[in-house]
Amino acid sequence: MIKEISSFVKSFDKLGYVADEELATVLFLMTKLQKPLLLEGHPGVGKTEVANILAAHLGTELIRLQCYEGLDVHSAVYEWNYQKQLLSIKIQESNQKTDLEKEKHIFGKDFLMPRPLLKAISGKDKPPVLLIDEIDRADEEFEAFLLELLSVYQISIPEFGTIKAVHPPFVVLTSNRTRELSEALRRRCLYHWVGYPSFEKEISIVRKHLPDIEQKLSEQVVKVIHVLRNKNLEKSPGISETLDWAMSLYALGSKELDEDSFSRTQGSVLKSFADTEKMKAEGLSKVLEEAASP
Amino acid sequence: MSKPNYQSHDNVSQSILGFAAFARANELNVGIREAQEALVVASLGLIGDKECFRYALKSVFCSCEENAQLFDKLFTEYWGRPKASIRSNVPMKNLPKLKKPGQRSLVLMGKGDDKDAKEEEGKNVSGANAAEQLRKTDFSRLSDLDSTYLEKLAMRLWKQMSRRLRKKLKNSNTKGRIDLRQTIRNNISNGGSMLDLKLKQKKPNKNRLVILLDVSGSMDKYSFFLLRFILALRSHFQKIEAFIFSTKLIRITGFLQVKDLDKVLYLLSSNTDNWSSGTKIGECLQGFNETFAKRSLHGRSMTIILSDGLDTGEPALLAGELGKIKRRTRKLIWLNPLKGMEGYQPLARGMKAALPEIDVFRSAHSLDSILELEKYLADV
Repeated sequence: MIKEISSFVKSFDKLGYVADEELATVLFLMTKLQKPLLLEGHPGVGKTEVANILAAHLGTELIRLQCYEGLDVHSAVYEWNYQKQLLSIKIQESNQKTDLEKEKHIFGKDFLMPRPLLKAISGKDKPPVLLIDEIDRADEEFEAFLLELLSVYQISIPEFGTIKAVHPPFVVLTSNRTRELSEALRRRCLYHWVGYPSFEKEISIVRKHLPDIEQKLSEQVVKVIHVLRNKNLEKSPGISETLDWAMSLYALGSKELDEDSFSRTQGSVLKSFADTEKMKAEGLSKVLEEAASP
Repeated sequence: MSKPNYQSHDNVSQSILGFAAFARANELNVGIREAQEALVVASLGLIGDKECFRYALKSVFCSCEENAQLFDKLFTEYWGRPKASIRSNVPMKNLPKLKKPGQRSLVLMGKGDDKDAKEEEGKNVSGANAAEQLRKTDFSRLSDLDSTYLEKLAMRLWKQMSRRLRKKLKNSNTKGRIDLRQTIRNNISNGGSMLDLKLKQKKPNKNRLVILLDVSGSMDKYSFFLLRFILALRSHFQKIEAFIFSTKLIRITGFLQVKDLDKVLYLLSSNTDNWSSGTKIGECLQGFNETFAKRSLHGRSMTIILSDGLDTGEPALLAGELGKIKRRTRKLIWLNPLKGMEGYQPLARGMKAALPEIDVFRSAHSLDSILELEKYLADV
């Protein structure tokens, strides 16, 4: 492995994130090429966490923008503080300033409320990490706006002028694939698919988060999770479910996974009524058996 | 000549550019910028380790998971095998098989091959009343001549319908919150007193329509017109997801993006191979639920299934899968061309099992019957 990349892996490991060589390579490349990174994958496989850890690794601020349907420029980029502006107009009514000066005053920096995107490009001394979470939930219009921002890293505010980033942020976009993203956006970004981890990797993730857990229990949990992922459930368990489950079993003081503890804690793994019914019909003991056989 | 590989060039950068060209020729979306970035990747020292180099190029050249598998294959082909042969692990991407439009695609061009049954009702159509008559005629009983005429008529009427639907949406918008930004702007002339309030209009909801079209043999006579109906709907719905199914399900949304109708038909005929085969509705819907449902259905979407319900699979499976779709969608509509026939009863096994799950069950055998759909479409 190349030196820079193994240092990435090591540093991530110290921060509590198990990164494989591929992810480390992509992140290294992203910091060098100054290109946004698009992470796609199933829910709960640690996409958001990548941005958190990257920020910690670079020792910089993380700015997060959670996307949702109907997200518009005003809640993503900037907004004027209208109440303050109105008050200011009232206060200045009696003084002698010209209208032009008054206008300039109320459209000044004091009245501007920066939202995540503006914050991200006005970083003073270090490039921050900008996390645009679940971009697939935002509308196409917003996606188009992002395209512009991500290529030139500047925002123009009509009353104020154009703000250009001194330190362009490291941008991480995540998507759950609830909607296909436009080809244009994809081409602007580096792409990485975050899949479900291998057995060994998932074990080491569990140990990282729960160092005191019994080895047998952790292995059983991961095995059962891997069986469940092949069961075509409505909501396949991700890594966060694995961790939740291991944690709840640990909290209940179980030494190993049996049918009783499985049924008591199934709420942390099976997240829909249909899935619970399906597994009940199949029999939890059957699942455990299946997991135990090599 | 053998396939291009890294040894067919003089130096490293040419090899890399050669790889970019190779990837481009094999349908990866690689432009000049990507090629440049590949050179940067190499100059960063990543070329020293083959795996790292592969990962890095993958993130630059690929833009979705499906591409990634193809990339792995191409990379191995071009740069040679790694020491341990991993070739068997590389999943072969099932590339869309480009085949020449053959017999089957005749259906697409609107020329079904049976010539006997069609002239009966069609030939009576003439004179000023022709259009009225045609609109009521069953698609399966059209003569060649009439079908060209009807096609034009249909496109015109469907376009009108599409336009009406758009308009309805605009007018029904209610006024929303006060827009402070615009209000302040507009009242500068009033000295800052808020006399003239500006309101923010509610954003029109995103309409999403998912259409599943049955193209099995029994639907041949209809699928051609119904496909055109789907194309006409493109302009109204911002998001339209279309699939065709018979024994397997194929997503055709991508092909519908092309403006030119003939080109769409050509693309469809050359990239899909499930026309005029048997019918396994239940299995196809299962495939839809597993792969696409999460992505394409949400609370405001409407799902239309165009099929005659003559299913050879298990009825219970069909009912179960329909139930899953119903829970994810706002309205589930089933259009059955056979329903237009006099005395039709939904007795076919599949259709019978499906009925309890369906919100709206209507016919779609003639132009008029399709135009009647308007009220449901406006409701999305």
